[in-house]
Amino acid sequence: MGEALVELIGVEHSYRTKGGAVPALGPLDLRVEPGEFVVVVGPSGSGKSTFLRVVSGFEHPSGGAVRLLGRTPVPGRDVGVVFQQPRLFPWQTVGGNIGTALRWAGVARADRPQRTVELLDQVGLGSLGPRRTWEISGGQQQRVAIARALAAQPRLLLMDEPFAALDAMTRERLQEDVRSLTDDATRGVVFVTHSVDEAVFLASRIVVLTDRPGRIALDLPVPLPRTGVSADELRGSAEYAALRGEVATAVRSVAA
Amino acid sequence: MVESRTQARPLSGTHAVAVRVAAVAALIAIWELLVLAEFWPPAVLPGPAQVWDQLLATSNASNGQGGYAGSTLVERLGVSLRRVGYGSAYGILLGVGLGLLMGLVPVIRAITEPFVTFLRALPPLAYLSLLVIWFGIDEEPKVYLLMVAAFPPVAVATAAAVTGVNKQYVEAAAALGANRARVVATVVLPASAPEILTGIRLAVGIAYSSVVAAETVNGADGIGGMVLNAQRYNQTAVVMLGLVVIGVTGLIIDSAILAGQRALSPWRGLA
Repeated sequence: MGEALVELIGVEHSYRTKGGAVPALGPLDLRVEPGEFVVVVGPSGSGKSTFLRVVSGFEHPSGGAVRLLGRTPVPGRDVGVVFQQPRLFPWQTVGGNIGTALRWAGVARADRPQRTVELLDQVGLGSLGPRRTWEISGGQQQRVAIARALAAQPRLLLMDEPFAALDAMTRERLQEDVRSLTDDATRGVVFVTHSVDEAVFLASRIVVLTDRPGRIALDLPVPLPRTGVSADELRGSAEYAALRGEVATAVRSVAA
Repeated sequence: MVESRTQARPLSGTHAVAVRVAAVAALIAIWELLVLAEFWPPAVLPGPAQVWDQLLATSNASNGQGGYAGSTLVERLGVSLRRVGYGSAYGILLGVGLGLLMGLVPVIRAITEPFVTFLRALPPLAYLSLLVIWFGIDEEPKVYLLMVAAFPPVAVATAAAVTGVNKQYVEAAAALGANRARVVATVVLPASAPEILTGIRLAVGIAYSSVVAAETVNGADGIGGMVLNAQRYNQTAVVMLGLVVIGVTGLIIDSAILAGQRALSPWRGLA
């Protein structure tokens, strides 16, 4: 086994409140390898967001250790984040948002215009560069946010319920596009959702968290093919239905 | 067509202009009627025609007194606008700078906030005396007075804007690897721009409305000086002319800043 992308060793985290420390997460151990698409599912309040904040370096865990490529995670170093809301900067154009991310990633000024077009092409929005961020649809905004998070070519992409605010049809289209992000086997994705369907469709591995404080209730490889099958075939297959049932049962049992 | 009775719709462009022109015309008509009714002698309440005559007289450089007491209305307006321009510019620079520090560094805010509020509460005429003692009676005390008047609203607006920046944007920037300086330059400043511009609008208004106070000492060459001078000689029509000119130019300056604000932050209210 090579170097792990992410390694959590005995990680636990609690938030300080007036009534004392409220445990939110763990203790839990988890290892994510390059090329894995790990979807973390859990009931609301299961510490999914805390989990992502700890892995991205926004929070230091109260106990245990997190390693991202062997180092303590720092926001923006080797890791990209896609939030539930696109959080695009409205004072910049679509292309300007990407250009800013490229500048912060250290890409030379001369290379930025072409890289911007490439990144927008990658999310199917090649011609939207000059548009204002509020002129495009919610789904397009979230695509721009994904392109922006990929600007620094992070080894790990963290996604925090990025499609929760989108309509069903847009959500399915984006899921189909995001599924191929780990075709690049050096990259890993950790995706948090409360939707069992989304988890089974996207994941190469599903981790179910328990109710607060979130611990690992189920760690399940997803043997569904990742290439050569259409999204509809996949969603209609017997294996998909069986997995869906298994994960749904697990989520229900921890939510009780 | 069914129209909502609870929500006011803004008037369309031409409609709004027409309504405003009509309102001004009505105001002038009422003024003229009051004059015709002779409630007050003309020395107390001159009519629109007399004020208009003064406009022509004070604009005429070859009327024997070089417009009014040595300089024409336009020259006076230029002198006053220059003072307001410099005073506002210094006040805005100072206000944005201090406001940024106040918003970003809580200690600086704790130390300076009482002083800013103190300054804000003082009427400009009150500190003019001090400025005259310190800086003499030339341009400096006038420009500094306008600067002191303009600076607090900008500082307060900037500090509030900076502390109120949506943390989601700051976090998104951090997630993209931005350090603190980059977050300030690329996120905090542009996100605060609409509110800072509101502060600037307020500041320029306050500076302009303080111009008469600024010109009470050796400022006879300005438009405020003209008003003070005319009051001394009971030239009521000239006083009223000065007020109208200050008011109208103030309106024009304000709408120019407002237009600039809209052009600079079209996303205002969307973020």
